[in-house]
Amino acid sequence: MARLIKPQIGRREFLKSSAAAGAMALAGPARFAGAQAANPVTLHTWSAAVDTVQSHLNAFTKSTGIPVNYGNSPWAQYREGMVTKFVGGAPLDMMWVSDAWLPEWAEAGWIAPIDEYDFLTAYNSEAEDFCTDSMTYNGRQYGLTYYTDFMAFLYDESKIKEAGFDAPPATWDEVVEQSLVMKEKGIAEFPMMLAMAQESWLIEFMSSLVYSHGGRFTDDAGKAIMQHDKDGAVEALQWVVDAVNKHGIVSPACVETGELSGLKAFASGNHAFAMVAKYRLRMLNDPAQSQIAGNVKQAMMPKGANGDHNTVGWMRFHGMSAQTAKDKQQAENTAKLIEWFGGKSDGAYTFQKLLFLDIGAGFGVKPLFDDPEIQASYNSYGDVEMIKAQQALAMKKDVVTPWFGEWSETNGSAWQSAILGNTDVKSAVTKSAELWDELKDSY
Amino acid sequence: MAEVVHQQAGRGRLRAMFGYEERSAIVFLAPVMAVLMGVAVFPILYSFYLSFFRMKLTRPNRTPFVWFDNYTDLFTNELFWVSVTRTVVFAVTSVTSIAVVALLVALLLNQNFRGRRILSTIILIPWAIPYVANALMWKWIYDSGYGALNGVLYQLDFIDKYMVWLGDQDKTIFLIANAFVWKEVPLAAILLLVSLKSIPSDLYQAARVDGATVWQRFFHVTLPAMKPGFMLVMIYETMMAIRHFDLFFILTEGGPGDASHVLSWHIYVETFRNLSFGSGAAMSYVLALVTFALSYTFIRTLGRKV
Repeated sequence: MARLIKPQIGRREFLKSSAAAGAMALAGPARFAGAQAANPVTLHTWSAAVDTVQSHLNAFTKSTGIPVNYGNSPWAQYREGMVTKFVGGAPLDMMWVSDAWLPEWAEAGWIAPIDEYDFLTAYNSEAEDFCTDSMTYNGRQYGLTYYTDFMAFLYDESKIKEAGFDAPPATWDEVVEQSLVMKEKGIAEFPMMLAMAQESWLIEFMSSLVYSHGGRFTDDAGKAIMQHDKDGAVEALQWVVDAVNKHGIVSPACVETGELSGLKAFASGNHAFAMVAKYRLRMLNDPAQSQIAGNVKQAMMPKGANGDHNTVGWMRFHGMSAQTAKDKQQAENTAKLIEWFGGKSDGAYTFQKLLFLDIGAGFGVKPLFDDPEIQASYNSYGDVEMIKAQQALAMKKDVVTPWFGEWSETNGSAWQSAILGNTDVKSAVTKSAELWDELKDSY
Repeated sequence: MAEVVHQQAGRGRLRAMFGYEERSAIVFLAPVMAVLMGVAVFPILYSFYLSFFRMKLTRPNRTPFVWFDNYTDLFTNELFWVSVTRTVVFAVTSVTSIAVVALLVALLLNQNFRGRRILSTIILIPWAIPYVANALMWKWIYDSGYGALNGVLYQLDFIDKYMVWLGDQDKTIFLIANAFVWKEVPLAAILLLVSLKSIPSDLYQAARVDGATVWQRFFHVTLPAMKPGFMLVMIYETMMAIRHFDLFFILTEGGPGDASHVLSWHIYVETFRNLSFGSGAAMSYVLALVTFALSYTFIRTLGRKV
């Protein structure tokens, strides 16, 4: 009688065998699929124009055969979510990047330069200078433009006329002058709308004020000059403090007014002047969304005594992750996708045009200004020549550094404290400058 | 063979140490303990470990071990002390108000009158509203442009123009405390009501026989008997007030200036905006320690005399 031999398999061996079998079962189909098609490119964006992105992705896959895994998350949690993805090594090839995060992400080694791909950098010749500058860190370019915009000075034409003026203010002194007349005539209690609440938009509002007064936060070497009287931020902040406390043309509630609530107040007809992102112009002249539709016009950003009509511009761009850059084939596929979105697809800046027509988002490539469809769209609610002229005077934020986030909180509080009269302008800006230099040294 | 004998000896020792019921308990509790270790104990210990590193997520390659520097740095940080001051003002204002208002509500609900049950239900509504919804509601109420508070005061001729509420730094912390009190009073009132209900009616009858007035009965019978309830309310609400975050996040984001920059906001900014997990963890431990110390003080002072 044959002896039955019972196989001696322990629990550990059994578990190991099972795990190996499971892994093979899972890996098998993927491996064969990989042999049939390119690895998918993983794209993560914030939740904007999701349908437009998806349809453009479908066209990409159809054109190149490269599949794309697309995910998105809300803007409010985007930065933190992406940092967690990078730290956790989540699969990620291409993502949208804000110019404010570029130094931080580049220093951390999470995103890779794309300037090795000549077919991508070739688009720089048609991009606004500040766009290319905003995508560049330490001499390397990290992406192609997704959308760009600038802080615009808007006015309610009917209120200007009612106050007896023929033209909008060209200087900040004229803003005060016209506002005081409006106050006196009871046209608006606070003619100028400024949103100075502690939120992500604050630095854009501050930068516009500073640049148009001829100032800067930092010099070309990145050292703080914001505390300087003439070429720093003192003059701009002094204008805001006076506007609130001396002239009463800006509401003291500006320190609790965010971009959106300020916009709503302006759209309700509470103010005559407002500083808002240019793309809001479309909404402000839409009768379904604004009570002052048809009256909202754009003027060049008023200038200070030492300034010009400069404003701040900002950039969002398509970037590539550093982990992808290490894999040549995957990087090339990702670069193709970057070009499909940030450059031309089928010979035209299709995505930027789609995005503009869909949600009114600005573009950083100059040839689109000559597109008849875009001109017609812009002119239906604004003045394309004015927009073009102001965009040409836009400057990148000079405070975008790896320590921007840490400095921004203190800087925002310092400006608010000065506006509320807790501290004088010089002390507030000096405190902010000291922190800047301290952080710069620590990095 | 020797190994088998050794294993059997080991099992024998375990059986000698633990009886059948203990061994069963260990087996049944093990999964829960494992989950708790994974989701509670380990994160707590790990965050304590992190608090000794200069760990910033955006600088993944530079995380030096700094011993207690994250803790000692706090004491030289001006903004940290501002946040401590704001937290103390907020906690004292809120907890005091909650205790007083909740006592009045509990005394009212302890009376027999028509509609008492409906009133009890209505009073519980703020407690049932989620914190974020509560914060959004108060944001609308306090808005300087279209807020209900301005609307009501203007209609009643108490003000001649719309006022700035949250933007006025002298009022900010108290307005936030008001929103917090509104939300917390119902729970505190219920806790105090339970204490009130447990007072034997004999005590009141005896006091009446002795000729005690209403006020004397209140101060000498009611209040002393409510000490356990008060202790619970004080501990719970103090902990809630010190750690509270939602209202500050939604109403003011720590502003204007640093008018509502409380400890919880300071920790949030440090941890999730600056992504400095090392110093954020250190601050969290300081906050936990303070909360523990306060609770202990309440128990020692109020509890001893109960």
